[in-house]
Amino acid sequence: MANIPKEVLPVNNDRQTDNAQRVVVTGIGMVTPLGIGKEEFAAGLFSGKTGIAEIKSFDTSAFRSHLGAEVTPFNPRDFISVKNLRRMDKISLFTVAAARMALRDAGVEITEDNRDRTGIVLGTAFGATDVTAQFSGTLLTQGPSSVNPILVPNIVMNAPAGHTSIELGFRGINTTLTHFAVSAETAIAYAAAEIRRGTADFMLTGGADILSKFYYEALTKFRALSPQNGGKEACRPFDRDRNGTVAGEGCGLLFLESLESAISGGRKPYCEIKGVGMGSSPTKPTDWPKDSEGIKLAWNRALKNSFLRANEIQTIFAAANGDQFLDATEARAYEEIFADVETKPFITALKGAMGESFSGGGIRACALALSMGKSILPPTLGLNHPLSPLSFVTANHHDAVVNNAALAGISFGGTYCYLIFSQ
Amino acid sequence: MKKRIVITGLGTINAIAKNVPDFSTALQNGICGIADLDLFDTAGFRSRTGGQIKNFHVHDYMPREFSTRRMSRADMLALAATIEALRNAGLYLPPDKIKKDMGVVIGGGAGGLLEAEEFYGKLLTTGKRGRFSKLSALFCASSADRIASTFDLMGPKATFMTACSGGGTALGYARDLICNGQASMVLAGGVEPMSRTTYASFNALKSVAADVCRPFDKHREGLSLGEAAAMMVLEDLESALDRGARIYGEILGYGITCDAYHMTAPDEKASGAVRSMQAALKDSDLSPDDIDYINAHGTATPVNDVMETKAIKEVFGRRAYTLPVSSTKSMHAHTLGAAGALEAIVSVLALHHGFIPPTINHRDADPLCDLDYVTSGSRKAGLRAVLSNSFAFGGNNTTLIFGKYSERGVAREQ
Repeated sequence: MANIPKEVLPVNNDRQTDNAQRVVVTGIGMVTPLGIGKEEFAAGLFSGKTGIAEIKSFDTSAFRSHLGAEVTPFNPRDFISVKNLRRMDKISLFTVAAARMALRDAGVEITEDNRDRTGIVLGTAFGATDVTAQFSGTLLTQGPSSVNPILVPNIVMNAPAGHTSIELGFRGINTTLTHFAVSAETAIAYAAAEIRRGTADFMLTGGADILSKFYYEALTKFRALSPQNGGKEACRPFDRDRNGTVAGEGCGLLFLESLESAISGGRKPYCEIKGVGMGSSPTKPTDWPKDSEGIKLAWNRALKNSFLRANEIQTIFAAANGDQFLDATEARAYEEIFADVETKPFITALKGAMGESFSGGGIRACALALSMGKSILPPTLGLNHPLSPLSFVTANHHDAVVNNAALAGISFGGTYCYLIFSQ
Repeated sequence: MKKRIVITGLGTINAIAKNVPDFSTALQNGICGIADLDLFDTAGFRSRTGGQIKNFHVHDYMPREFSTRRMSRADMLALAATIEALRNAGLYLPPDKIKKDMGVVIGGGAGGLLEAEEFYGKLLTTGKRGRFSKLSALFCASSADRIASTFDLMGPKATFMTACSGGGTALGYARDLICNGQASMVLAGGVEPMSRTTYASFNALKSVAADVCRPFDKHREGLSLGEAAAMMVLEDLESALDRGARIYGEILGYGITCDAYHMTAPDEKASGAVRSMQAALKDSDLSPDDIDYINAHGTATPVNDVMETKAIKEVFGRRAYTLPVSSTKSMHAHTLGAAGALEAIVSVLALHHGFIPPTINHRDADPLCDLDYVTSGSRKAGLRAVLSNSFAFGGNNTTLIFGKYSERGVAREQ
């Protein structure tokens, strides 16, 4: 492991004072295991409801794990035209529905005038695992002449963003990126940078992933899921008795614009995206990081980029998902970061309620925006015996003063992306 | 003032060359790399050909002490191209102070599908489950992780998945990371391995040519699929000058747009392609008159080539008819997720060595494709700025513009 110097100094001299350069969140769209849309989601989240249950959409009897955080019930007809609906697979249905909700929530209509300056940056960790398995399965068992060409457009990971642009009619920047468990955080950072750079007026951004049978089986074989080493199956972030995560699915999208544009359109921001810090640490490709250096590196870069100090961050929406290594490493990093800081942040891990969908950073970002608006911090479900003396939120924390909040993105393979949101 | 981002290292492995010097020669000689595949059985497919990298032995490109355990063909190709790019930039192995802020951004494609197909095929036909560890490189973000962990890089990582425009977007995003201070150098590019699933997909859509692709030809019947890795070292000008690096060219700007029209067919009105070229020109502070050569998307599908020709006419006006436009896909085939990055290397080599690569396999002119497609061999030409297009499924369009390096910059020289 190479030495990472304490002070990390990406040069950034442009303090953001100009309203045109400040990026704010003015809309939210969500399709989640806790509910569809921000009202249903918030009702579930702040009442301590869990989205985790026995998997219903496929048979798990042959596997060692049986739990999942599935999106159900969900009626895409509420959001998508019938003409386009039949061309879409599950991940695209989630994404288009969330996009429609985010636009409605912001109160923005796509018109001739704004469509070329409205775009989407979507993060997805694994894409349409169901369609790919179906297409490849036919190819490998029945040969090339038996495959269904209708499936082809949905195999590529950019299909959800493509369907979204067709259904909603916007033609600006449109891209899809992936980097395992930091896919959504990285996408949000990119979308915010494009608003700041002035190449788009409105951006939808976040993450989408789905559960499917072969993918779920592969996760069990990689021992990613609870029960990793025996015990009762559950998702217990930051808990001493944790034994792996539970797989989830869903889509969460933010609607971003500049502060100037929000003010002129009369749209009230949920919060501002203040800064981002990204980094990597040498880690084996499918392993969660075991040392805290990479987290501290990205954290410091995010603070520097936001012109903030550690004692100015009141809460962290953690990446912890119940994994043996991830949670221990993340907790240790915060212990080290806040060792000499007088005011410690409240830490909450939403994957206890929503499982690990890898691009769940989109949903967590929406939850963070809602929390800031309501001044309530949601609880970490499944946390009974904290592994560390950090200030974990285990029951709703009301009247929380949150001026600045951090969203943690940490991936196996050693990739990190921290986003800082401010009032 | 905006930071100037330059290219100081190149690396590639593709159907017509296994390193950058050979690639430059092959482009100038108009070599065709499209031939029968031997990577998997093509019986039952509409076509049998493609731009495959033949006789690829990973250890010809990297030291034995680098582990290739559990790597996919994609990971190995990407690592091979990365090593060449780092060596070429004088950064092999990267010193500690560079590693700290060096990122990896890749345009991805099939990732480890080729290997996963063997696993999954066996599972479905015999019910036997192989070792799931064989799937650990299935997803294409694995290549960036492999590169970063091989060289202990600590900058940002991301993988763009916009099918045929991912490689181009990766380079634009990498430039932004440096401009925004989130990395001081980025290894950026694309990798696309051949896979049965990809091959079957394009066959099912009937968009492949039976023999070789013929961009802009009257009788073109589709594309030829290829595979490649193409990587570049990007850094800001100051850092390149400080360390006395060779500067191949400058990345002047990029544009991304969306058709919002159809998932697999381009918008015949060409609006997305037009706006993507215009956005790139604007980002580069250039006017259409500053562009000396266009490396076209030029897939050789009936629809794309007409649409792209129309878009070029709309952006460039009368100048379109005297502006050389070529599709090097006629040589190295369509490398999908790597295409934007591979063709960026073509553009940069053209600027650096002063040549215009040809469109080969072209026989009969199409009245709807009436530009100068450089169909009778490469030309010598001093170029200042080159525009490269990548258009993708999902309606994703990316245009990149590269400039020859000069102290004052292309835009400020007029």
